[in-house]
Amino acid sequence: MTERIYGYNGIILDVDLSSGKIEKKAISPFDLKNFVGGRGLGIKLLWDHLKDKPGADPLGQDNPLMFMSGLFSGFPAPSSSRTCVVTKSPHTSPKESPYAHASTLSYSNMGGFFGPELRFAGYDGLVITGKAADPVYLFIDDDKVEIRDARKFWGTGTDQFDKDFIEELGDPRFRTCYIGPAGENLVEYASIINTAARAAGRGGTGCVMGSKNLKAVAVRGTGQPRVGNHRLFLDSLEEARQRFKNEQVYGIWRTSGTAFGLELFSGLGMMAVKNFREGTFSEVDKIGVQPSMKNWIRSFSCYCCPLACKKSGKTTDSPFAGLVHDGPEYETGTMLGANLMISDLAGILKAVYISDDYGLDIISLGNVIGFLMEAYEKKLIDKKFLDNIDLNWGSVDATLEMIHRIATRQGIGDLASRGVRALAEEIGQDSHKFAMHVKGHELAAHNCHANPPRAMCYATSNRGACHLNGTSIEEQNSMALTDSIGVCSFAMGGYGNDGGLIAKLMTGITGAASKSDLSQIGERIYNLEKLFNYREGFTRADDVIPERFFEEPLTVGAKKGAVLTRDQFKNMMDEFYTKRGWDLKTSEPEAAKLKNLNLPF
Amino acid sequence: MISNRDLPQWSRRNFMKVAFGSGAVVLLGQFGVFQLASAQQGEENSLTMILVDYSKCTGCRTCETVCSAFNHPKEVNGELLNGTGNPYLSNIKVYSFNPDVDVPTVCAMCPDNPCIKACPVDPDPSTGRRALYRDNKTMAITVDPDRCIGCQSCAEACRLGVIVPHPETALPERMCTLCDGEPQCVKYCPFEALSHVKVDITKEFYGMKPGQIAEKLIKDWYGVSD
Repeated sequence: MTERIYGYNGIILDVDLSSGKIEKKAISPFDLKNFVGGRGLGIKLLWDHLKDKPGADPLGQDNPLMFMSGLFSGFPAPSSSRTCVVTKSPHTSPKESPYAHASTLSYSNMGGFFGPELRFAGYDGLVITGKAADPVYLFIDDDKVEIRDARKFWGTGTDQFDKDFIEELGDPRFRTCYIGPAGENLVEYASIINTAARAAGRGGTGCVMGSKNLKAVAVRGTGQPRVGNHRLFLDSLEEARQRFKNEQVYGIWRTSGTAFGLELFSGLGMMAVKNFREGTFSEVDKIGVQPSMKNWIRSFSCYCCPLACKKSGKTTDSPFAGLVHDGPEYETGTMLGANLMISDLAGILKAVYISDDYGLDIISLGNVIGFLMEAYEKKLIDKKFLDNIDLNWGSVDATLEMIHRIATRQGIGDLASRGVRALAEEIGQDSHKFAMHVKGHELAAHNCHANPPRAMCYATSNRGACHLNGTSIEEQNSMALTDSIGVCSFAMGGYGNDGGLIAKLMTGITGAASKSDLSQIGERIYNLEKLFNYREGFTRADDVIPERFFEEPLTVGAKKGAVLTRDQFKNMMDEFYTKRGWDLKTSEPEAAKLKNLNLPF
Repeated sequence: MISNRDLPQWSRRNFMKVAFGSGAVVLLGQFGVFQLASAQQGEENSLTMILVDYSKCTGCRTCETVCSAFNHPKEVNGELLNGTGNPYLSNIKVYSFNPDVDVPTVCAMCPDNPCIKACPVDPDPSTGRRALYRDNKTMAITVDPDRCIGCQSCAEACRLGVIVPHPETALPERMCTLCDGEPQCVKYCPFEALSHVKVDITKEFYGMKPGQIAEKLIKDWYGVSD
């Protein structure tokens, strides 16, 4: 019996690059109802794929690389533009495990137009396994799906490839995503890029893609799923559009994008400065909104987004004058700026550009370089170790040189391409105390000393340290749902924090669901992610934060003196496990809790 | 139900025509002095169109979704409601380029009607209409499905490649309808980048193909040539 499923195509496009087999697989109504789409459906499919393969090699043929559209993807609800890339992480690992390749899941959202187009083509997600014998790209044009030769493109940076690929395809209405040299070279924190400007940045999704010899995916579609309650959908859509006309909703995004965070968080002592040693950057005024506005030429949007947070610009300062790219954003401006004590905005934008061109996670990258700058300053490593690069705080030239090395894995770049934990292991001398990662995944631009909940956010994230995880359980569950419907988190304020309008839209699209189901969905997704990780060997012992936050109070700024205490952290974590219904010692989710969530199956 | 999933050769030809039109940009776009002269007679004063302010457009494509929803309604429980906004069906299409500029493209309401002139179907003695004609109220290019022979000459003649023959019926589609007088794209653009104005062929970008417009914007904004 096939149930008519509204709001979905009900189909996953399944591609095995080893055998070349291409299949259209039906998604079970149970999965759609319980996991919705995007990140949620992603972890369910990951679980299913690796059910009998704990400890699977993330760079091996079994690891599925999945591009998941959300429930709203392809419908014109404001800011429903996000695609969630889900896979097993090539970068994280537990302290102890029976498996050599134990790692967490990785999930990474990217903006743009890709996820919606996948839905127009007739699919709710794309699952890629295996490995092609030679570099290929995947071509999807409604029903027509082909694996095509990409050898001539291998080695091309993402900016040039973005243009070359459209010429190859012959129609700019294809939506594409791809890796750059960093992914091809299997840098552990390589990203997937689209439109030369957006990234599925974190968690090494680009590395997994490179391990499959997959350069790019192109998709074009002409259809759209059907909604279950047409009238309700149209009414809720109109309500949403009216809400987004409010300046309170779009104002800050449209004016400055996330760059407003640069001065804001520095002022609050919550910025990652000097490898997280400080929370305030004395020269933030040189890299924030005011100087950036001099470069900015236009705002641009993702699919159906009224916020238009991206800012395209052109630098005017030598020696990087004439560089056209978007930014800075809060994360990129901080990690390649304040975190490295760099106050040269044009230099930062150059670093951002080459990182995007290589296809590198700028957050992990900036974290790695900051770590090396500190190790170098403390003379734990010498210039020889750094291939003769004089990696001083504030040096744009040295930073650019290091980025080239990492992307190509030359010399020191090879070790650095494995992240701060690997670097600290090699360098020793207690450098692990300032290796700013959780579970092997680098911390982002939000600092902890003056913001204790941020520490819990990093420690408990299912993909390793992640600033988007959520600083409370409600927030974490809510983010999991946001990532499953494919709506941009920046827009969620516009939809209203009570979740009512989101619930109405979900009902309009699927014809079913009520608000009481919603709170469970996020929790279910979060718990399945945790089950996956727990099976790999991750326990409470891995839910820790770097020593820096306990041992080194801030010395400058409004929050001078701020530091976390171990008791404070322990209490936050105890409260977290208790409320989640997870074992206090091991962090294992309790059976009763899982049963309540329809887990496992 | 007619399937949308069979996009023929047309799309590749369309793109090449639309994006990479031949020849340099000349004053008055593609119209030339002679056409300007003939255009000043008769209908030009009542022609209106959608005008784009490229400096405000962010490429969000909301216009595509509302155009599609209005012009492709659906019958639901006996009531005719707007569609769900499949952008493939939209008459206005946003073309994106790298370096990033976004160029919404829609019927330019050419005062000299190359599409109508190309229609081989004889004018009806009472209405004067060929199979392709201008709507009385909006002046929008409209097809009479009973008289159209599916020759696709209008699509061939369209300067911007806006007209696309339906893959099965071959009837011309994607001509801007001006939404019966209240253009939805203008109403819903979150950035007020679109306006409903009288046709003025002397305006800077009038009648230019998206690739040509993009080339100029990229040069003006970013100071680079592709």
